[in-house]
Amino acid sequence: MIITKKKDFQELMENIKNYRSFFLIGCSECASLCGTGSEEAIKELTEALQSEGKEVTGGFVPKTGCQVLGTKKELKAFKDQLAETDCILVMSCGAGTQTAVELFPDKPVYPTNDSLFLGNMTRFQMFDERCSLCGQCILDRTGGICPVTTCPKGLLNGPCGGMQDGHCEVSPDIPCAWVRIYERMKKLDKLEELRESVLDAKDWSHAQKPRALSTREKKEKK
Amino acid sequence: MSFREALDSGKFVVTAEVGPPKGTDIDEMIHHIELLKGKVDAVNFTDNQSAVMRMNSLAGCKIALEHGVEPILQMTCRDRNRIGLQSDLLGAYALGVRNVLCMTGDHVSAGDHKGAKPVYDLESVQLLKVVDALNNGKDMEGNDLKGSTDFFQGAVVTPEANPLEPQLIKFEKKVKAGARFFQTQAIYDIEKFKDFMKYARRFPVKVLAGLVVLKSAGMAKFLNNFVPGIVVPEELIEELKAAGKEKALDTGLNICARHIRQLKDEGICDGVHIMAIGMEDKVPEILERAGLL
Ligand code: SF4
Ligand code: SF4
Repeated sequence: MIITKKKDFQELMENIKNYRSFFLIGCSECASLCGTGSEEAIKELTEALQSEGKEVTGGFVPKTGCQVLGTKKELKAFKDQLAETDCILVMSCGAGTQTAVELFPDKPVYPTNDSLFLGNMTRFQMFDERCSLCGQCILDRTGGICPVTTCPKGLLNGPCGGMQDGHCEVSPDIPCAWVRIYERMKKLDKLEELRESVLDAKDWSHAQKPRALSTREKKEKK
Repeated sequence: MSFREALDSGKFVVTAEVGPPKGTDIDEMIHHIELLKGKVDAVNFTDNQSAVMRMNSLAGCKIALEHGVEPILQMTCRDRNRIGLQSDLLGAYALGVRNVLCMTGDHVSAGDHKGAKPVYDLESVQLLKVVDALNNGKDMEGNDLKGSTDFFQGAVVTPEANPLEPQLIKFEKKVKAGARFFQTQAIYDIEKFKDFMKYARRFPVKVLAGLVVLKSAGMAKFLNNFVPGIVVPEELIEELKAAGKEKALDTGLNICARHIRQLKDEGICDGVHIMAIGMEDKVPEILERAGLL
């Protein structure tokens, strides 16, 4: 899921200081699990804005904020509140915010969150990054542990000289990705494979921005 | 005799290390180059060591050449992508640099520009392969070069890494990728190093033992606690303590000289790489005490 964090409230207030009324849009998926775009979060922000003398014309948690057509349909029910507001605040990720930008070409749209990374939820409201969407997965070569993401240098062929007792040079809180890969390959009795596989430099053209994909089948011409 | 020829001849080779300045004042660097001239086989020029921004390694190498000292260009993958690395390698060759040490490079978080974007488009194993390609007249995409390089390429290894095996697997990948010499992370336990060399001797590469001069018992403890892959044995710390404050440095120089002598006399490895870290002035004295001058 996409991990988001609330912006500092003072910073948000500074960004929206020129507007008086707001409509809040959350998201029931990632942002709800992160606690940044849930019903609860909307309620909290509504109260906070009101206590700063702002008006809130309404709020809604769409099913999937990054799903443009679905969100458009769901928001139809709030047509009046949306028309009457000065500004729309989006409480999901940058993708959700840009759904609103597309749907409301005439309204200012502001994000209330910072979007951080694609994360795994390890415990309630604890997240870590294991995949950075490089566009050409190499987990098949690294025992299922991603060095592109979990090694701060993204090294592809083994640990650097900074590894200390299994920890990363960058921080003792980070286990060295290459020691983890080594240990897992050892457990799976695949050390020979690890020894033999020299990985070439990644082809970053697969990650060229902006990425787009269509898996629609082309309709056969009759 | 060039560095490469010296290693091939079986001579016990000595290299030292100079860090280019932070700034444009090169007087001290030239002083160190002059001091090492004729006393060592080659001098490494560090590449923004510890991710602290300084003058680049290539400028240091070129200045060394002008002063008649053979340089080893250290190249890290931290700051340049594959285009920058290859381009700098071609430029270095054109300027007369013949030795290159391929390294990953300390993370930017260790340095003085912590907000920098770390590059690591390639890493040490891949960079070695790139040098091999350039030596064969091709860039890493297989495009022909007008004039190829003829680099003598090396890499680094940490014999005291813990756990060790992942480091050894990487060492073997570096050998396969074309590394012809290795300079090791600092070692202090010669008996343990012998075990490493017994293993390393199975591969067709030359190994220079890395040595860092101990200035005090405090420094030794610091290395043990904070520098990955360095283990200073307790006896050496005791020896430095026993020497007292006044004589600690002198004892440190003796330890270094003693290690060099033993490594050479017992034919343990092919040479030494002395990292003086701020004590470049002392290198000739160490070599004298080791009986190499
Ligand atoms: S290699 Fe890593 S970053 Fe790339 S797709 Fe696989 S898990 Fe994600
Ligand atoms: S210590 Fe391990 S995880 Fe950290 S940068 Fe080096 S190889 Fe990557």
